[in-house]
Amino acid sequence: MMKRSSFLRAGALTFLGASQADLLRAAAAAAGSTPAKAKACILLWLEGGISHLDSWDVKANSGFKTISTKASGIRVSDIFPATAKHMDKLSIIRSMRTQERNHPQGTIETLCGHRPNPALKFPSVGSIISKELGGRDNMPPFAVVPMPTEGDFFNYEEAYRGGFLGPQYDSMILPDPSQPDFAVPDLSLPKSVTAEMIEDRRSLLKVVDSHYRAQETSAEFAKMDTFQQQAMQMLLSPKVKEAFDISKEPDKIRDRYGRTRVGQSVLMARRLVEAGCRFVTAAGYKHGEWDTHGDNDKRLRESLAPRLDQSLSALLEDLATSGLLESTVVLVTGEFGRTPAINPNRGRDHWPDCWSLLVGGGGISGGRIVGASDERGAYVADRPVSTGDLYATIYKAMGIDWTKTYMSPAGRPVYIANGFDDKMGEPIKELA
Amino acid sequence: MKICAVAGLLVLAQLAHAQAPGLRIYPARATLWGANTSQRFLALARDAEGVERDVTENALWIIADATKATIDASGKLMVRAAGPVTLRAEFDGLRAESVIRIEAVDAQRPFSFGTDIGGIFTRRGCNNSDCHGGVKGKAGYKLSANALFPQDDYTWTVEGGTFDVLSAETKGARVSRIDKLDPEKSLLLAKAAGQVAHGGGRRFAAGSPDYVTILNWVKAGAPFGAESGDKGVFIRSIEVYPREVVLRAGSSHRLLVTAQLSNGRTEDLTDQVLFVSGDSTVVEASEGGLLRGKQTGETSIMIRAAGHAVSARAGVIGSPVSNYPAFPARNYIDEHVAAKLRKFRIVPAALSGDAEFLRRVSLDLTGTLPPPDRVREFLADRSPNKRAALIETLLETPEFVDYWGFRLGDMLRATFVTSNSTAGLKAFEDWILTSLMANKPFDQLAMERIAGQGRSAPARNFYYVSEKVAPENLMPELIRVFMGRRIDCAQCHNHPFETWSQNQFWGLTAFFGGLTEVRNGQLIVDTMGDHPDRPRDMSVIHPRTKEKVLPTFLDGTVLPRERWTDPRRELAQWVVSHPYFAEAAANRIWGYFFGRGIVDPVDDFRGTNPPTHPELLAALAKDFQTHRFDLKHLMRTIAQSRTYQLSSVANETNRHDRINYSRAQPRPLDAAVLLDAISAATGVPEEFRYHPMANGDPAAGTRAQQMLPDLCPSPFMDAYGRSMRKTPGPGAPQPALSQALHMFAGTTYNSKLSKPDGRLAQLLARGADDGEAVDELYLAALTRLPTAAEKQSVMQALAQQRGGRAASLGNLLWALVSSREFAHNH
Repeated sequence: MMKRSSFLRAGALTFLGASQADLLRAAAAAAGSTPAKAKACILLWLEGGISHLDSWDVKANSGFKTISTKASGIRVSDIFPATAKHMDKLSIIRSMRTQERNHPQGTIETLCGHRPNPALKFPSVGSIISKELGGRDNMPPFAVVPMPTEGDFFNYEEAYRGGFLGPQYDSMILPDPSQPDFAVPDLSLPKSVTAEMIEDRRSLLKVVDSHYRAQETSAEFAKMDTFQQQAMQMLLSPKVKEAFDISKEPDKIRDRYGRTRVGQSVLMARRLVEAGCRFVTAAGYKHGEWDTHGDNDKRLRESLAPRLDQSLSALLEDLATSGLLESTVVLVTGEFGRTPAINPNRGRDHWPDCWSLLVGGGGISGGRIVGASDERGAYVADRPVSTGDLYATIYKAMGIDWTKTYMSPAGRPVYIANGFDDKMGEPIKELA
Repeated sequence: MKICAVAGLLVLAQLAHAQAPGLRIYPARATLWGANTSQRFLALARDAEGVERDVTENALWIIADATKATIDASGKLMVRAAGPVTLRAEFDGLRAESVIRIEAVDAQRPFSFGTDIGGIFTRRGCNNSDCHGGVKGKAGYKLSANALFPQDDYTWTVEGGTFDVLSAETKGARVSRIDKLDPEKSLLLAKAAGQVAHGGGRRFAAGSPDYVTILNWVKAGAPFGAESGDKGVFIRSIEVYPREVVLRAGSSHRLLVTAQLSNGRTEDLTDQVLFVSGDSTVVEASEGGLLRGKQTGETSIMIRAAGHAVSARAGVIGSPVSNYPAFPARNYIDEHVAAKLRKFRIVPAALSGDAEFLRRVSLDLTGTLPPPDRVREFLADRSPNKRAALIETLLETPEFVDYWGFRLGDMLRATFVTSNSTAGLKAFEDWILTSLMANKPFDQLAMERIAGQGRSAPARNFYYVSEKVAPENLMPELIRVFMGRRIDCAQCHNHPFETWSQNQFWGLTAFFGGLTEVRNGQLIVDTMGDHPDRPRDMSVIHPRTKEKVLPTFLDGTVLPRERWTDPRRELAQWVVSHPYFAEAAANRIWGYFFGRGIVDPVDDFRGTNPPTHPELLAALAKDFQTHRFDLKHLMRTIAQSRTYQLSSVANETNRHDRINYSRAQPRPLDAAVLLDAISAATGVPEEFRYHPMANGDPAAGTRAQQMLPDLCPSPFMDAYGRSMRKTPGPGAPQPALSQALHMFAGTTYNSKLSKPDGRLAQLLARGADDGEAVDELYLAALTRLPTAAEKQSVMQALAQQRGGRAASLGNLLWALVSSREFAHNH
C-alpha cells in the first residue's frame, strides 16, 4: 500500500515536468540552507541484531514492560532505565526496513547501504564519510574498536572497508580496550626512539631511496610518501598518542561506562571522536551476542541490555556535559530486528522487514519517534525508512551532499545514500 | 562471377607478398538478406612493414549501381534492391573491390525479443552484473546477465517478479516494467530515458532508435516473437574482425562484429553490440566498434552481444625504432617474447647485471636474500656459466622447499581450523614439503590432492582443512586451482560471459556428492571413499530444478555407475589429462616469476580474458607436459631465459609496458618474504609464537615462510597484508598507513637494529669503519654495493646524524630495510 502510493507520488512529480536533475538541484539547495553542525559520528554496533520488540518498540508480544522516558510520550523497555533518562537526546526510528536475513549480508547492507554484490564492493558508510570530510588533527578518520566478528571477520570485513574507493578509506581496527595490556600497536614510539632519531632516519631514507626512485616511476612511491607523512604526524602528535591511551581516563569515568569490552569500547569511541576521528564504530559486543535465537528475554535482561544501558547513558551524559553532543551524531543499531514470534527455544530469529534504531546528536533532533510498526511489530505500518534515508540524515547533519553519486569501476553511478529500490535516500524530515 | 574471381585472386596475391603496400576491403564478399539491412565495410591499407591500418574513413567508396545500395563515408552500406553489387574503395592510388549479393529486400526479419530487446539491454549496460544483471537484480528488476536467458528476461519484464537463486519460481512484487495501455509510460522506457528517477542514470534518450524499438515493441503488444528452437532464427555465435588490432597513438580502427545465424546466414552486428575497453587509457572503444589509440600499450576489448561475448586484443605501437637491437634467444620463451616486442616496436631492456640477477633469482627460487659473502663470491666469479650454475644450486637448497612449500600452502590452502587436529594439518604440510623434496610431478601431486582418501592419507586433510567442505565449494576450488577457471558463478546461475552452465556446475559437483553428509547437525566428512561393494549415492540436488544430478564431466559424459567406487580418482584423472591442466599450471608458475600470468589473473582463464602471448603459453604447457610435469624443469626454463634475466631499468620505448616482458617488473615482496628479508638483512631472526591451539612454539630460527599463517600472530604480517589462505592464491601487498606506522614505531624494525648479536653489532665489534659498514649493509639489504655517488651521499648524511656512531649506522640499516628497493623484487 505504502509502496504503491509513494511510487505514484514520484511518478506524478516527474510527469509534471520536473526532471531528476531539478529534484537533485532542489535537494542540494536545501542541504546548503541548514548549517551542518555534526563533525563526527559514533556508532554503537549491536552485533547479531537487537530485538526491536523488547527494546525501542515494545509490543504486546514482548515479555518486557515499558517505562516512561525523559521525552514525553516516548516509552521504552524497562531494561533500559538509565538510557530512558536521556531519550530527549535520541530519536527512535521504528520503521527501518531492509532485505538481507543473514548476518554477514545484513551487516553489509546496513553498513554499506547496498546488498552485497560479488561483482562490486561498496564502500562502508564510515569510509564515505572519511572521504567526504577528510581527517582532522592527524587522527585516522575511520576507526573500529575492537575488531568485530573476531575469527569470522573475513565474512564481514566489507562492512568496514573502503570497497571500490580503495584501501585508503579502510577503517583502522583497534584492539579490545578493556584488556589490561591494551595498547594500540605502532601508535607511539618506543622509548629508544626519539623524534630526532625519526628525523635522522627519514633523511637517510631519502638518500637510500633516491637511486631506485630515479629508476622506477611507480605510483607506490607517492602512496607510501603520503602514508609516511601521515604516520609521522600521528606519531609525533602528543594529542594523538593521548587519544589512544585509555588509561588517561579517570577510573571513575572508566567505571561509569562499565569495565567491560562494550563499556570501554564506547568510552574509547568518545575519546577518538574528541580527538578528531570522523566515524567510530564501538563494536564491543562479541560475535553475534545480540543474536538471541535462544532465551531471548533472559539474555537481554541479564547480560545484553545492562551493558548497553550503562555505556550508552554514560556516553550521552558525557557528550551533553562537554557540549560535544552538538557536533556528534550517535547511532545505535544492529543489522536487523528479530521475529515477532517466539521460537521453541524461547528465542527470536532474524527479522529485516521492520525494525528499530536510535539516532540523535549533531543537530539531529532527539525525543522523537519516526514511523511505526504494525500491532505485532512485524511490518512497517507507517513511513518505511531505508538505510539510504538514515545515511542522508547523517550526511546532511555533517554537511555532506547526500545527493552525491560515486561512479563504480564498471561505470555505474551509485548513490552514497542508497534508498529503497536503488533510489536516492532522503533526509528524515521529522528529525530536521 | 568473373569479377569476383579476379578480386579474390587480387587479395590472395596481396597476401602472398606481405611486404608490398596494398589495399583490401573487409569483408571481401557478403550476402545481405532482408529489408533495411546494413553492412559495415573496412578499407585496410598495408604499409611496407606489413602492418595494416584502417583507412575506411579516408577512402573513397564507390558503388557502381546506386539503385541497389548506398554507402556512407564511414563504410556503412544500406541495401535498396536485390542483385549483385560491386563495391570499390580507393585510397592513395590503391584500389580494392568487394562483391556483394543483396537478397529479399522485402522480407522483414522476424522480431525476436532475445535478439532485439535483449540486444538493447546488453548494449546499454542494463544487464551488467553490477546493474540488473546482478544475481539479485537491481531495484526489484532482474535481467539475465548479457541476455543469456531471453525467456526469463521476458517474464521479468512483462510480468515482473525477480529471480530467486535457489528456486525456479520468481519472487518479489510482480510489477510489470511495461504499460501496454500507455506505452510511453512504460517504466522500462521512462527509467532508461531518465524521465523517472533511475539509479543507473539515463541509458538512452527519448526518441533515440533504441527507445523507438522498445516503444514499438510495447505498442505491438509486447510479443516474445520468434526465438530459438526449430522455427525461429537465432544467433549461434559472434565473431569479431580483426581479433588483433595494431594502432598508433591517435589513429583509429574499427572492429566488425558478425553474427553467425542458425539458418546459416550471417548478419552485421557491429552497431548492435557493446564494446568495452579493458584499459581506456591505452585504447578507447566507442559505439559502432571504433577503437582509438591513446598511448603505447595493449589491452583487450570485450564485445558483448545478446547472449554472447567475445574479445579482441588491441595494441598501440610506438614510432619505428631505428637500429632495433638484437635479442639473442636462450630458449623458446625468448623467441615468442621477442617476436611480439618487435611487432609492437618495444625495445627490451638490457640483460640484468649480476647483482640484480642474483637478488631476483634468489628471491624467486628460494624466497631469501643471499648473504653478503655469497654476493661477493658471485660477483667475483668469472665463469661464463655462473648464472645457470646458480639456478641449479638454488633449485637444490632446503630454502627452495620451504619457499615453494609456502607458495603451494597458499595455493592448496594449508590452514589450521579448530575442528581439525594439529597432527592432521602437520601431515598435510609434510606431504607438501616431501612432494617438493622429491620433485614430485605436478600431475601426481594434483592427483593425490584431489583423490586423497582413507583415514591416514596426508593429502586428504585438504578435505578437513578447507572450511567449506560442502561439495559445491570443493569442486569449484579444485577447478580454479588446477584448471585455472572460475566457475563459482555457475553455482546459482549460468556464468554471465562463459559457456559454464549451472548444469555443468552441478554435474561436476556430484563427484563429491558422497563425500560429506550432515549427521545430527554436524557436517561429517568421509574420505574413506572406497566402497567397492557398496557404491555410494553420488548424486546431488540441482537447486533450481530440484532434480538429482549424477557425476558428469564438463562435456556431458555421465560417469557410469560401475565406476562410482572411486569417483574422485576418476575426476582427478580427467583433470590432469585435460589440456586446461597443463596450461593453467604453466601459467600459474610463470606468474610467480613475472608478477603476472600470460593469462592474468592466473586462475581466470576465459574467452573474454585472452592471453597476452597465446603461442608462448601453449609452448610452455606443451614443454611442461612433455617433461612429465616437472616443476623444476619449468622453473629452470623460465629462470634461464633471457626474458627473465632482463634488467628492470626501463628505456623510452618500454617504460609503460606492463604485459610484454620487455623488462623485469618490480613486484612487492609478500609479507612473509619481506619479514624474513628484514631478519636476514639485520641478522636478527624473528621470534615467533604459535597460537596456543598449536601445542607448543616453533623452533628458534623458524622463518615466516615456514609458519602457518593462521596459527602465527604477527603484527608485521597483518600490516603488510598476508594471505590467511581463506581463498587459494597469494595476498596482494599494497602500501598502507599501518606499514608506515610499523616502520617508524613497530618492534620488527626497531628491535632488530641494535641486537648484540645482530649484523650491525658484529660489524662494530670487529672494528669495521664507516665505509666498510656501509658496503656490508648495502650488500646485506640490497644485494649490491652502493654506487660511488650513493656512497658519498650516504657518508655525508651519516656525518649529519645526531646520535652516536652505532645509532647512525642503525639508522642507515633502518633506512635500507624501509626502502622501496628493499621491499620489491626487481
